[in-house]
Amino acid sequence: MKNMSKEIMPIRALSSLFKVKFIKIIALLAIIIFFLVPVLRLVLLSFQVDSQLSLQNYADILQDSKTWSVLTDTILIVIGSTAISVILGVLLAWLVAYTDIRAKKWMQVFIILPFVIPSYISTLAWTQFLGANGLYGKLVSVLPFSLEPINLYSMGGIIFVLGFSHYPLVYLLSVSVFRKVPREVEQAARVSGASGWRTFLKVTVPLALPGIASGGFLAFLANLDNFGIPAFLGIPAQIDVLSTYIYQQVVGFGPSAFQRAATLSVLLGIIALCGTLVQWLLLKKSKRLETTVEDKKPRVQLGKAKNLIEFLLWSFFLLTSLVPFISMLMTSLLAAYGLDFTWENISLKNYQFVLENSPKAKRAIGNSLQLALVTTIIGVVIGTAFAYYRVRKPNRWSQFSEMSISLPYALPGTVMALAMIFAWMEPVPGWNPGIYGSVMILFIAYVTRFLILQVRGSITAIMQVDVSMEEAAMVSGSNGWSKWRKILIPLLLPSVLSGAFLVFLTALTELTVSSLLWSSNSETIGVVIFSFEQSGYTTYSTAFSSLIIAFILCGFITLYVLQYFWNRKVANVK
Amino acid sequence: MTIAINQLSKEFDGFQALKKINLQVREGEFIAILGPSGCGKTTLLRLLAGFLSPSEGEIVIGNNVVGNPQQTLPPEHRNIGMVFQSFALWPHLNVQEHIRFPLMHHRFVRKEIKKNQHERINEVLKMVDLEAFAERMPNELSGGQKQRVALARAIAPQPELLLMDEPLSNLDAELRMEMRSEIQALHQLTKATIVYVTHDQGEALAMADRIVVMNQGEIEQIGTPSDIYTKPVSPFVARFVGKANLVEGVWHEKHFVPSLASDIRWPDTGVVSAMKEQNIYPVRPEQFRLSKENESGSGLPGLITSVQFQGKEIYYTLEVADQTWAVHTDVSQQFSLGEAVYIHLSVPRNTVTKNYHHQAI
Repeated sequence: MKNMSKEIMPIRALSSLFKVKFIKIIALLAIIIFFLVPVLRLVLLSFQVDSQLSLQNYADILQDSKTWSVLTDTILIVIGSTAISVILGVLLAWLVAYTDIRAKKWMQVFIILPFVIPSYISTLAWTQFLGANGLYGKLVSVLPFSLEPINLYSMGGIIFVLGFSHYPLVYLLSVSVFRKVPREVEQAARVSGASGWRTFLKVTVPLALPGIASGGFLAFLANLDNFGIPAFLGIPAQIDVLSTYIYQQVVGFGPSAFQRAATLSVLLGIIALCGTLVQWLLLKKSKRLETTVEDKKPRVQLGKAKNLIEFLLWSFFLLTSLVPFISMLMTSLLAAYGLDFTWENISLKNYQFVLENSPKAKRAIGNSLQLALVTTIIGVVIGTAFAYYRVRKPNRWSQFSEMSISLPYALPGTVMALAMIFAWMEPVPGWNPGIYGSVMILFIAYVTRFLILQVRGSITAIMQVDVSMEEAAMVSGSNGWSKWRKILIPLLLPSVLSGAFLVFLTALTELTVSSLLWSSNSETIGVVIFSFEQSGYTTYSTAFSSLIIAFILCGFITLYVLQYFWNRKVANVK
Repeated sequence: MTIAINQLSKEFDGFQALKKINLQVREGEFIAILGPSGCGKTTLLRLLAGFLSPSEGEIVIGNNVVGNPQQTLPPEHRNIGMVFQSFALWPHLNVQEHIRFPLMHHRFVRKEIKKNQHERINEVLKMVDLEAFAERMPNELSGGQKQRVALARAIAPQPELLLMDEPLSNLDAELRMEMRSEIQALHQLTKATIVYVTHDQGEALAMADRIVVMNQGEIEQIGTPSDIYTKPVSPFVARFVGKANLVEGVWHEKHFVPSLASDIRWPDTGVVSAMKEQNIYPVRPEQFRLSKENESGSGLPGLITSVQFQGKEIYYTLEVADQTWAVHTDVSQQFSLGEAVYIHLSVPRNTVTKNYHHQAI
């Protein structure tokens, strides 16, 4: 300290202050250009006819009877599937949180499964299970009476698959609020003379409702946003929802395709953003319970009914989360589609085709791996840096930035992809650097869309590390790199990595955005599976999907093992 | 190391957390900063550590200005150690590694210590009585042991200034008493200047050489524990530290007439002039005496509204006119709830102020 002279400090302080300001301005500009401008340009385009501001596009769209039938179908499908998701999610959450059923951890694995598997792969699995030659048909034919075959390529089919794919969202939010309802407040109601059922209605439900409703809205948004399921099931049956209708407008070209698509996108985007807003408000409300810890001890003893309920639950899990995928695996092993699953018909040639003979599939694997890796790395570095700034220096700029970064993810994928096309086809009007039409646009789109996932994961991670840990390092003489290397990175790494893993998986199996942005030589895995399925090569699409599932499972097992060892080293609290 | 705090202010978004504070700390002194939550004591400590920079005024540690509104020397460049309220142990490092960390990074560690890190670690472990726990992880330690690790980490690099932010508030009552003497012993051993922030007047009175009582961003009084306890200069200090009843009345040359009874005269037992100017007589609960009959007419009538038996003392709450007073008496005479009694000021025989070495609880 003796060497410190009064004269040197102010200059140093001033220059670093200038540098910090400079970096802040650059970051803010980048956020506006990458996250806000594309959306603004999309909105602007919907109000333009021949470079003139006009409401003509909206008038045309709203007068078109097709628009109204698409809207009606969308609403029916979203409401129906959300109802299924909420009923399943809440019921399972209550059973897991409140009752004394066994093997809850394993149940949780099966509940999460539909959530981590891309919905278009689940759809493929369901179609194989319920299809003409599927396991369902075999099971039914054994029965003494005859059952109608189920046709998934219908409104009902779309609603069913959507609902079953998104109930984990409701489950996850509900189970945590159920566990956070303090046991004492329920006991207080019982002591005050309320029956068990009355306590549930008057105490448990009101306390858990914001959390449940927030999960419900999340499912609503997922159902509205989903492209894979209505694309796989709806397009062949000519059932259109907003997301697939926009897609068809863009791929179908036509004279005013882009304007129409932009206008429809603005409509869809507004619905989605309203949903996000409501969900966010509800989530804020449910945080009131956050002071309490999760209580994992059972509160309701099922008694004699326990065995029956456990049997029903496991049948449900096997039937919905395992059997469809086994059916898909069986199809992928057939030498030709439609053959019976017998020893002579089994072959690995579909896998050989996907991995060796098809240049398109090989390119897609390379592209998707590259896209996912780059998105993840950029996310971990920039996303964590931003999350650190957001948590440690909460101010209105960082709040504004977070909202901007979350916009591309809050918008439905089709809307977001369209915004990307308009923004990057000609970044400056009149100048086309060829970003759209190359793999570059996918890189940009993936980073913009998925950055918020890493930011959220990293924010959670950083919030768990109390600021005093960092301050303790600082008074111990260490700031800058050694503080990060020895204290922060080891503490943050496990949770940041599980966030990164989510980003990697999401980017790897992404379909919605890439289905609009791909070009030849820049196909992604999702696009190739979709095109195999559309051209009727079901054995190839199922083989490719089975490979992806195997990859996802390996990833999860690796992550689990890593975390297990980490926890044993650091926090062997249990 | 000496500290000089001159005209120090700190503002957060329009909220004045510290208002023109002046304080001089002597070499090797144990200073307690005492005050209720929100009084600015933690802000002051964080300014000393360098986590915050002043809005006005300056902080001088040793011979160097470490903080003024233009420049702040960051914490890692200050010769300090700090103990946090939450202990702030790093969950991925064991006890030994916690002590090694500052030895490796602290800029003021002496060369001999840097060279013989291992010896220093053992020495510090011995000082805090944790030799057997060197390899333990934080989650394998009890609350008291965690506290010792936090202390060990802070003293390991031999900082000249040790900052403590309510270090005992996360421990249970018994452990807190035990740790008081350990912190005192460490102070003797390290000779470091200690600034200790607390809201517990018992801790401050028991350990500090001098106490700084703070309220609403300002210093109310600076003094030795016995001064602060027996000669509070403001109603706030009297109430916060001595739990005194502030009796209103009129001060005359040598005596006080409570406004509740104009015929009663209380002699001056050394009340400071600041209180006299406000016409207040601060009476700590143990300075009152109760009786059934109004002997010699010197008592104020009161009604007992609560009785708490404490073993060696009894705590009474009384209603006196429309006020509520606290009175602590020994157990020789007991009164019951609802009883009408007379309250007397018990004046020490020699009327000269005794120097109380009282440990408040």
